Amino acid sequence: MSRRLAWLLVLGGGAGLVAAVVLTLEKIARLRDPTYVPTCSLNPVVSCGSVMDSPQAAAFGFPNPLLGIAAFAVVVTTGVAVLAGFHPPRWYRVAFHVGTVFGVVFVHWLIAASLYDIRALCPYCTVVWVVTIPVFWYTTLDTWPALAPLRRVHSAVLVLWYAVIAALVLSAFWDYWSSLL
Amino acid sequence: MPRTSRPKRNPVTARRGPSLNVVLTAVVVLVAAAVLGGVLVTNRSDESAAATQDTLVPNGAHTLSKVEGDRVTLVEFLDFQCPACATYYANVTKQIEQDYQGRITFVPRNFPLRMHPLAVPAALAAEAAGKQGKYREMYHALYEGYDQWAVEGERIGADTDRATAWFERSAADIGLDLARFRADVRSPETRAAVDRDLADGAKLGVSGTPTFFVDGERFEAGGTVADVGRALRARLDAALAR
Repeated sequence: MSRRLAWLLVLGGGAGLVAAVVLTLEKIARLRDPTYVPTCSLNPVVSCGSVMDSPQAAAFGFPNPLLGIAAFAVVVTTGVAVLAGFHPPRWYRVAFHVGTVFGVVFVHWLIAASLYDIRALCPYCTVVWVVTIPVFWYTTLDTWPALAPLRRVHSAVLVLWYAVIAALVLSAFWDYWSSLL
Repeated sequence: MPRTSRPKRNPVTARRGPSLNVVLTAVVVLVAAAVLGGVLVTNRSDESAAATQDTLVPNGAHTLSKVEGDRVTLVEFLDFQCPACATYYANVTKQIEQDYQGRITFVPRNFPLRMHPLAVPAALAAEAAGKQGKYREMYHALYEGYDQWAVEGERIGADTDRATAWFERSAADIGLDLARFRADVRSPETRAAVDRDLADGAKLGVSGTPTFFVDGERFEAGGTVADVGRALRARLDAALAR
C-alpha cells in the first residue's frame, strides 16, 4: 500500500470520523430534547434534522453515524499503521477494499435518499460523501494491479465523479439554488 | 500514487508538459464549472418574474390576520405534518399572528410534502373546516395537537385512520357540522384547493416548508428558529414602517 494512499486514509478517514462523531452527538441531543434544532439545520434544504429523522438515517436499525465511527476509525488506523511501516498482506488489502466498496455503495444509496426522498441536505453527511469516494477510488486503484491504465487518469475520474454528483445536487434542489442568486 | 510495473522513465526525458491526467482533470473541472455556472446564471430570472400577487394570495385565500388593502402581506407555505413547521408555529408564527393581528395580512398556504403521509389529509381537514368558516380554528387545532396526530412516538405518523378520527374529533370540538365536514374532506373541490396551493408554490419556487414571503419577496434567514423569528419580525416591522 503506497504512502500517498496512507495519507489519504488518515486525512479522509479523519474527516469522516469527525463528521460521524458530530452527527452522533447531534442525534443524542435530539433524542434528549425532540425540539432541539441541530446546528446544521439552517433552512428547509440545508437541514440535518429532516435527514437525521428519516428512516434512511438508521438503515440497519441503528443510527448510521455509529457505523461511520467504527468504519472511519479503521480507515484512519490502517493509514497510520502503513505510515508507521506496516506492509499489509494481500488478504488485508483485499478485505479493506471490500470495506470501501460497501462504504461507497452505502454512500450513494444515502445520496439518492437525500436528494430524491428526504429532499434535504445535511452538511456533515456531505462531508462523508466527499471523503468516501476518493477513499474507495484510490484503494481500488492501489489494490488491483489490473486497473493500471485507469491510474493514468486517476484524478480526472475523481473530479468527473464529483461533477456528476454536484450536477445531481444542483438539479434536485434547483429552486433553492436559483433563489440564492 | 499507485505502483507501476513499468520501468521508471528517465525523469529528464519524460517531462513533456503536463500529464494526461492533469490535462483531463483540468478539462473536467472547467467544463463542469462552465456548465453548472452557466445553467444557474441563465435561469436566474425565471423565479422573480413569477412572484405575482395572484399566485401568492389567490382569491378566497384563508387569512389568519387581515389588514385593509393588504398593506403588508405575510404568506407561509406550510405542511401541517412537517416537524419544522410545527416548531415554527410554536416559536414564531403563533406569536406573530397574535402580535400583528389586524396590522398585517397573514396567508397560510398548503404545501403538503410527499414524505409526510398525513400532510394531505390534514390539509384537506383544514380546507374542509374553511368551508364552514372555521379554517383558523382547525389550523390552530392541527398545530396545537401536533403531537397527538402527526407523530407516532419518534416517527412521522402514517396511520390515516387514526389521524382521520383525530381530525373528526377536533372538527366536532370546534363546532363543525360533522356530516358536512366528512363530505367536504372527500369533495374534489377541497382537493382542488390544496392542489392549487401546491401548484402556486411550485410556480414560486417553493421546495420545502415552511417557506415565507413578505410583500411578494421570499423571506430567508439563517440561524436558529429564534434567529429566523427575530429576522422575520424585523422584516415585518420594516414593511409596516414604510
